[in-house]
Amino acid sequence: MDKREKTWLGVLIIVALAVNIITLTPLVPWQEWLLWSNPTPTATYAIEVADYAFRFPSPEMQARVGEYVEFVATSSDVTYGFGVFRKDGTMVFQMQVVPGHENRITWKFDQAGTYDVRSTEYSGPRHSEMFAPDAIRVIP
Amino acid sequence: MTTAAPTAPSTGLGWAEKWTLRFAIVGMLFLALAGIEGSMMRTQLYAPGALEGFEQALSVLRPGGAAATSEDLYYAMLTAHPVVGIYGFAYLCVMGAFYFLVPFLLKREVRHKALVPVNFWAQIIGVMICWASGFFGLFNALYTLYWPLPVAYDRVPVVASVTFVVGAAIIMINILLFSFNLFSTVLSRSNPGDYTLGQFLRSAFGISRLMKWLGKEDKSAPNLDYNGLSPFIVAVARGSIDTVINAVVLLTAGVLILVYGLAALFGSSLNTLAVDAVVYKNWFWWGLDMVADGNVLMYAAGTWYLLVPLLVGRKLFGESVVRTVILVDLLVSMGVWSHHLLGDRVQPLFMRLLSGQFVTWGEFFTMGLTIFAALMTIWLARPVKFTPALKFVLASIFGFIMGGAAGLIQANLGLNVVFHNTQWVVALHAHTFLLTGLGSLLFAVVYALLPMLTKLELKSKALVNVHLWFWLFGSVTMAYAGGWSGVEGMLRRTIYYDGMYAAFQLAELVGAGLVAVGFTAFLVNVVWTLGWKNLVGLLVPERARAR
Repeated sequence: MDKREKTWLGVLIIVALAVNIITLTPLVPWQEWLLWSNPTPTATYAIEVADYAFRFPSPEMQARVGEYVEFVATSSDVTYGFGVFRKDGTMVFQMQVVPGHENRITWKFDQAGTYDVRSTEYSGPRHSEMFAPDAIRVIP
Repeated sequence: MTTAAPTAPSTGLGWAEKWTLRFAIVGMLFLALAGIEGSMMRTQLYAPGALEGFEQALSVLRPGGAAATSEDLYYAMLTAHPVVGIYGFAYLCVMGAFYFLVPFLLKREVRHKALVPVNFWAQIIGVMICWASGFFGLFNALYTLYWPLPVAYDRVPVVASVTFVVGAAIIMINILLFSFNLFSTVLSRSNPGDYTLGQFLRSAFGISRLMKWLGKEDKSAPNLDYNGLSPFIVAVARGSIDTVINAVVLLTAGVLILVYGLAALFGSSLNTLAVDAVVYKNWFWWGLDMVADGNVLMYAAGTWYLLVPLLVGRKLFGESVVRTVILVDLLVSMGVWSHHLLGDRVQPLFMRLLSGQFVTWGEFFTMGLTIFAALMTIWLARPVKFTPALKFVLASIFGFIMGGAAGLIQANLGLNVVFHNTQWVVALHAHTFLLTGLGSLLFAVVYALLPMLTKLELKSKALVNVHLWFWLFGSVTMAYAGGWSGVEGMLRRTIYYDGMYAAFQLAELVGAGLVAVGFTAFLVNVVWTLGWKNLVGLLVPERARAR
C-alpha cells in the first residue's frame, strides 16, 4: 500500500470514528434514553392506527417537560408512521408503525407547548390527510 | 464552438455500436420522461391543484379516469417515476455501455448476441407495463411495496397491482438474462484466458485475494485478480452479483403480490397478516438495496477505474487497493440494508446499529478509497486535457461525495430519528446520487464512447459546457433546496396543502429547469453530431438492412 493511500485511509478512519462516536453519545440528546438507558416512563399512551386515521387515547396525550413518556402504536391494516412535529413544522421524532407489531418509543420533551402528529409513512393515496394538530400537550 | 464537418457523415456503424447507441438513446428518452414526471410532481407539491386542468384532460385516456383524485394521480406517478428513472434510464444505459465495453476490453464478441435485442425490448416493455399500471391503472403502492400495502385493495387497484408485478417481473428476468450474458461473455471459451465458472466467481468474489491475505494462496488456481482481468471487468462482475440478488429478491416479492392479486381477482381474500411485515421488509430491502449500495456504487466505481486511466493516459493509481475494495464492497453491500429500517423500532437494536449504521460506514471506506484512486490518477497525470468525458467524471465524483455524505448522515441511529422519510433522504441523498453522480457518469460514458463508436467528433464544445454547468448547478440546487426542506421537517411522499414548504419547492423547480436546459443541450449536441441519417439508421432493423 502506497504511503499516500495509508495517509488517506488514516484520514477516513479518523473521520469515521469521530462521527460515529459523537453521534452515539448523548451529544445527540435522545441517544441518552433511546440507546444508553432504559428509563421508566411516567405515562404510556396507546395509539391505534387504521384506515388512514389515528385513534388517540382520551382525553388527550399529555407529558411534562423533562419526564419520560412512552408511545405504543399499532396498526391493523398497513404500515403507517408516527411522527411528532413542532408547530413550525420541524420534526421532534418519529417511528414506523408496522402492522402486527407493537411499535414503542420513549421520549422526553424539553419544551412546553402543543405538538402535532403526522403519519411519516406512505399508506395509500389519502396518506397526506393523516395530520392531527395539537395531539400532544406538554406542560412545564 | 467547434465544428468537425459541415454535415455528419454516414458512419457505417457496426452491430455492437448500433445496439449500444440504441440502448443509450432510449435510456435518455426514459430520463426525459422521468424528468417530466418529476417536474409535474414538484409542481403539485408547490401548488396542489395547479395541474387540475391537465389531469382532467389526461383522464379522458383512463378507464374510469373521471373518478381519480389528484392524490391518486400523484402517487401513481410517484410509483412509476423511480421505475422509469432507474430501470428505464440507468439500466438501459448501463446495458448499452457494458454490451460494448466488456467485449471490447476482452477482445471478443458478446457470447449470446441474440439476447442483446431481447434485453433491449424486454426492458422497454417491462418498464412501460409498470408505467402504464400507474398511468392507466393508478397503481400507487410506490417502489417500496411495503407489505401489505400492495395487496391492500381498499386503496390499491387490484388489476393494476397484478400488471405492475408482471411488468416488474419482466424487468427482473431481463436483468437476469443480461447478467447471464455478461458472465457468459467473460467466461466464453473463445477467449485465450479460458476461465471456468469457478475461477471466474473466485475472481468476482475476490476469494483468491482473501486467501492470499490469509497466507493460503492456492497457486494452482489462476488468480484472475492479478492475471489479466481489468478492474473494470472485475467490478462489473462484482456489481452483477448484486444485480442478480436484487432481481431474484424482487421476483420473490413479486410472486407473493401476484398470488394475493390473483386470489383477489378470483374472489378469494387471503390473510395479509400471514406474512410478517418486518420480515418481508428485511428481505425486500436486502434485495432492493443491492441496486444502490452494491450495483450503482460498484458499477460506478468500475466505470471510474476504466474511464479515468483512458482519459488521462495513466495507469490507475493504487490498482492493488482498488481490487481489495471490490472484495470488501461485496461484504459491505450484503449487510447494509438495515439503514432502511432505522425508523422501525421493532427491528432489533443490534441490527439497526450493526447493519444499519456501522456496515453502512463501510461504504465510506470503499467509496473513499475508490474516489481517492480516481482523483490521484488524474492528479499524477497532470497536465490533463479536460475533455467532455473527464469533466463529467469529475462532476460524477462530486455527486457521489455529496450524496454519500448525506446518506451517511441519515443512516445514523441517532440522526435518523429526525431524518427518516424526510425530503433530505430523497433530495440530498437519492437524487444527488442519481442525477449529479450516476447521471453525470453515464453522460461521461456517452461522451467517451461516442467518438469510439462512430468515429465522429462532438459538434460543439460550448454545448458540452452548457450541459455540464446547467446539469450540475440544477441538480445541486434541487438537492440542497430539498435537503433543507427536509431539515425543516418536510416529509417525502406527502402533499402539504397549507403552502408550508412552497418556497423550497419553487427553488427545486428552478433547479429542475436548469437540469432540463443542460439535458436539452446534450441532446442537441448528440443529434447534431450523429446526424439524422445515422439516427434514422438506428431505427432500421438489421434484417431489413441486409435485404
